Amino acid sequence: MFVQGVGATTLDDVLAASGASKSQLYQHFDGKDALVRAVIDHVGERIIRRERDALGHVSTIRGLYRWRDATVQRNALRDGAYGCALGSLASEVSDHDAAAREALARLFGEWQELLAAVLRRVQEAGTLPADASVDQLATGLMGALQGGYMLAQTARDVTPMATSLDMALAYIESRTIS
Amino acid sequence: MNTPFAGVLATESVCLAAVTDGATLAEWRHRVVKEVMTPQSPYAIALRQAGDVRDRAEFLARWRQLIADAIARVVPCAAARPSDGATGESGPAVVDPQRTAVLILAALHGGCTLSQLAQDQWPLDAALDVALTPFAGPGSPAGADTSTVPSGQ
Repeated sequence: MFVQGVGATTLDDVLAASGASKSQLYQHFDGKDALVRAVIDHVGERIIRRERDALGHVSTIRGLYRWRDATVQRNALRDGAYGCALGSLASEVSDHDAAAREALARLFGEWQELLAAVLRRVQEAGTLPADASVDQLATGLMGALQGGYMLAQTARDVTPMATSLDMALAYIESRTIS
Repeated sequence: MNTPFAGVLATESVCLAAVTDGATLAEWRHRVVKEVMTPQSPYAIALRQAGDVRDRAEFLARWRQLIADAIARVVPCAAARPSDGATGESGPAVVDPQRTAVLILAALHGGCTLSQLAQDQWPLDAALDVALTPFAGPGSPAGADTSTVPSGQ
């Protein structure tokens, strides 16, 4: 589903991939939109848990660079072909499915809040100036991350993602007090 | 190459050619944000993860080069620096037009996705602030402007 994209996926594809019968599938899901929402919940929960583990105790810019390394490395295992599962869903469903869009917006909000919490801890340690807007920096970093995933997915090469994260982190670092 | 890709590149090659300093770069940014946030505009369509992946890769590579050329004009000393686009120092004082162009494209891409989800221009502005503030000179960050909330997407 993530390789092909939601738009190009039919229920028949899902059946072929899962080995379930159509009646079994319909017993669980009320059509494709419900299935997509179940996928969003499932993928979202997994990603938020992973990011909470990775970011929950980070309180330095160095720690953010280590998170960047792990994120790029994980994506490089597949030449970036799958991108970010949530980002791929976002780029496809947001127009025509308001409930899916809201669910995705909530999940991205949670993810971004984990980044903002890291930057807040950096700020509390006195490394970022008190007047730096943590929410703005976290949003910018999330934009660079998601955009990086998309560029890597198109290029089938993880390099543009590594570059965009490095550049965004370098900007945040440039705001720190040495 | 399909029409939205070709259309965006045609517009961008004209508009980015006019970018020579911080002020014209800011003008370019505001125009592109407006385009990207207009539902079903060629820009909004071109930034979706859809269509032929080779067309899209070529489109992004050419747009990236146009942006890199513009950045090199904005920061003249940066043009002389060698850049391999992949590795090298990323210290805040060093401007590499190729790497900067990658971040700008990523910010447009990722910011657009986040803005469409939130139905608010703010995430796109914040993403572009991170990418462009080093070139904006003294001025207010556009992310502070939350007055425009597009609706009906």
